[in-house]
Amino acid sequence: MDARLHGPSAAGVGLAFRAVRRQRLGDTVFRGLTEVFAIGVLALLGAVIAALAAGALPAFRKFGLEFLVSETWNPVKEVFGALPAIYGTLVTAVIAMMLAVPVAFGIAIFLTELCPPILRRPIGVLVELLAAIPSIIYGVWGLFVVAPVLQTTLQPALIDTFGTVPVVGALFQGPPYGLGVLTAGLILAVMVLPFIAAVIRDVFMTVPAMLRESAYGMGATTAEVVRAIVIPHSRVGIVGGVMLGLGRALGETMAVTFVIGNAHHIRASLLAPGTTISATLANEFTEAVSDLYTSSLIALGLILFVITFLVLAAANFMLWRLSAKEGA
Amino acid sequence: MSIYARRRAANVAIMSLSLLATAAGLLVLFLILWSLLRHGVPAISSDFFTKNTPAPGNVGGLLNAIYGSFMMTLVGTLVGAPIGIFTGTFLAEFSRGSHLAQAVRFINDILLSAPSIVVGLFIYEVMVVRMGHFSAWAGAATLAIILVPVVVRTTENMLVLVPASLREAAVALGAPQWKVVIMVVYRAALQGMLTGVMLGVARIAGESAPLLFTALNNQFWSTDMNAPMANLPVVIFQFALSPYADWQLLAWGGALLVTVAILALNILARAVANWSNFGK
Amino acid sequence: MTYEIEPVESPSRLRPHLIQMPAVDPAKPAAEAKDQPQTKVQIRDLRFYYKNFEALKGVNLTLYDKRVTAFIGPSGCGKSTLLRVLNRIYELYPDQRATGQVLVDGEDILDPRQDLNLLRARIGMVFQKPTPFPMSIYDNVAFGIRLYQRPGPRELDERVEEALRRAALWDEVKDKLHQSGLSLSGGQQQRLCIARAIAVKPEILLLDEPASALDPISTQRIEELIADLKSDYCIVIVTHNMQQAARSSDYTAFMYLGQLIEFDTTETIFTHPMERQTEDYITGRFG
Repeated sequence: MDARLHGPSAAGVGLAFRAVRRQRLGDTVFRGLTEVFAIGVLALLGAVIAALAAGALPAFRKFGLEFLVSETWNPVKEVFGALPAIYGTLVTAVIAMMLAVPVAFGIAIFLTELCPPILRRPIGVLVELLAAIPSIIYGVWGLFVVAPVLQTTLQPALIDTFGTVPVVGALFQGPPYGLGVLTAGLILAVMVLPFIAAVIRDVFMTVPAMLRESAYGMGATTAEVVRAIVIPHSRVGIVGGVMLGLGRALGETMAVTFVIGNAHHIRASLLAPGTTISATLANEFTEAVSDLYTSSLIALGLILFVITFLVLAAANFMLWRLSAKEGA
Repeated sequence: MSIYARRRAANVAIMSLSLLATAAGLLVLFLILWSLLRHGVPAISSDFFTKNTPAPGNVGGLLNAIYGSFMMTLVGTLVGAPIGIFTGTFLAEFSRGSHLAQAVRFINDILLSAPSIVVGLFIYEVMVVRMGHFSAWAGAATLAIILVPVVVRTTENMLVLVPASLREAAVALGAPQWKVVIMVVYRAALQGMLTGVMLGVARIAGESAPLLFTALNNQFWSTDMNAPMANLPVVIFQFALSPYADWQLLAWGGALLVTVAILALNILARAVANWSNFGK
Repeated sequence: MTYEIEPVESPSRLRPHLIQMPAVDPAKPAAEAKDQPQTKVQIRDLRFYYKNFEALKGVNLTLYDKRVTAFIGPSGCGKSTLLRVLNRIYELYPDQRATGQVLVDGEDILDPRQDLNLLRARIGMVFQKPTPFPMSIYDNVAFGIRLYQRPGPRELDERVEEALRRAALWDEVKDKLHQSGLSLSGGQQQRLCIARAIAVKPEILLLDEPASALDPISTQRIEELIADLKSDYCIVIVTHNMQQAARSSDYTAFMYLGQLIEFDTTETIFTHPMERQTEDYITGRFG
């Protein structure tokens, strides 16, 4: 029995006490560091809002709340209004969601119900790679490849078929530019599609296998299982995921800037050029010569931030509630 | 039609649509890659990698832009990744349920999807205006801010996956918490954390909007971080929207390069994530 | 081999010198039967709460040095909870708390002034599932040593080797000390964890179902190891395997629903327990 194998020596005890003091210090320092950075994240949000508000103040002082509803955007006369940009931001995002969400559902259903298991990983990876492509690539592709095609095929077709229909026709008036609100919405749809598809697929996969199996066991078809079991079970997650996609669509810059046409006006027709907040910023910020111009642009940025913040906060709140329910 | 036949028809219809949707998604991916290859490959030459951005009508390449993107991404990662890792550690190790942790997590997830151009505006206000000029430092700072939420998310997720028994085993030996985290938990979660950082880098490497008014652009070769610096996304933006054919060609080449680099990073990140499974 | 059947009304509980040892096991040092057991840990009126749920209801118990004490009982009886009080590892979880006294060599370890890290350096713990750290075998064993001491490289090598020998692992790993601890088999990993725990020279060893995740051969080796280690440590082992408790321990505590029902020498508990519940559990009527 080796005496060394138990009981610390006297010297060992002294070392131990010094080590304990060092360790307590280490604990405080390390923990403090992590806490500082964590609070820093919160502070960052505050700082962003504060900086934007400060920068936007001159514009709001000059134009007041009319800034939000004015359609004029005249750099020469120094009169600015945010409405065209806000309108374009909302319309392109809505178009994008209307096109992307059904397709995203389709992809998610395919990946979780139809796809042979061997192909699930590869196809899933391909969808995620689609999401990884930077937005500027979508912009370039949209400008050089998609817009010309739309100009010669889809847009004339839309004008011919719907242009004369009473109410809807107003959406499809005017010459087919190729660029415009519709094209921007389309490119945006392609951009947010993989993201929403991935979120919905992840939510679908949280449905317990037993639930699915009991439905199949009763002879339900796949479509019925999806409609009656999977979707209702994932309702909150789906809404959260869709809203996250909406948040991204609202804030997207490069994909939209290339193809929206950059015209500061509001037209009923989807085929007309327009602008969004981010496109305006991208195009004009470095050209802004006067302080008021710059301030108006920053005001636009603040508005965009507030809109996306609200959407994302709501989305994350829903998703948080969903995971809280699951954890319980 | 009998009820059953109707149900089957509906099923076939919906499943066909979902198959179509997936095919459409994959088709788009291939279309984009195909366009990039078709238009971008002709731009690739030795000049492409060795010469700087030219004036219209001249021969040139994207060397300064490649360098600028590389440097700003690197600095942005060196600044943003540690902040993200420490914050993620805080959320996972030190205060899982507290109100502060919940608030940080909530805000972090919002920042994750926030418009990157707004981050650019923020840095413009606090750095560019203060310093009086555009700079690569400002560009790197913007990228760091965009990187942080991604790394926070992935770090926290990976650390939480480390089993409690491993932590307890270290604590049971008398290790203080900081040693438990640094020497045991980090090592256990290392591959996952690395994957998270790489995916974050892939994201910021492609960001263009925020660089527009922080790093701006630079027609010439420059290694001065305190001055405007060329970078691939802004160069692509400028050249693609220009009326010059040679500039447009370079834009395609740049687009191809950026896409290949980012896809490679993504695939590499996944490989790192899966490689760890072989050791166990 | 015979046992005296003690009449049920006989009150005395601890009479090790009256027990007939079944056969002389050469692995057990013969001195064991002659030594009077020394008290190592005194547990007095220990209560434990998960939030508001009282998981341990006033436990009074003595643990003896250089002996193996087993905690047995059905699922949820509190045996693991009791074990985990002894090194206060429950302090990691804010919803858990303990009241009462746990005196180790006379010192109350539940005292809030007690330094937890130092305490845990004196009390080693091995868990149900092997938990090798993601580092080399050598670093695993050296981890605890390096926390509090600064031995030179030669001395560190020696201590690592000693610990691995004592844990019956040295021969299997001596040529691959720098390979990852995760590359070992389940049984080897668990012995690595034991080596890691004894490398710091603790006074008490806590084993929480150490062999439950292992195959029968590894289990047997662990039990042989425990029999060997007993000569140097106060060992407490939680097990749901009654045969293991009967084989490996000197004393057994039977617990049920947070209460200590009976504590006695293992021989007594398994041959003529005093409490009806103990007898029911031992004979498999419940649990």
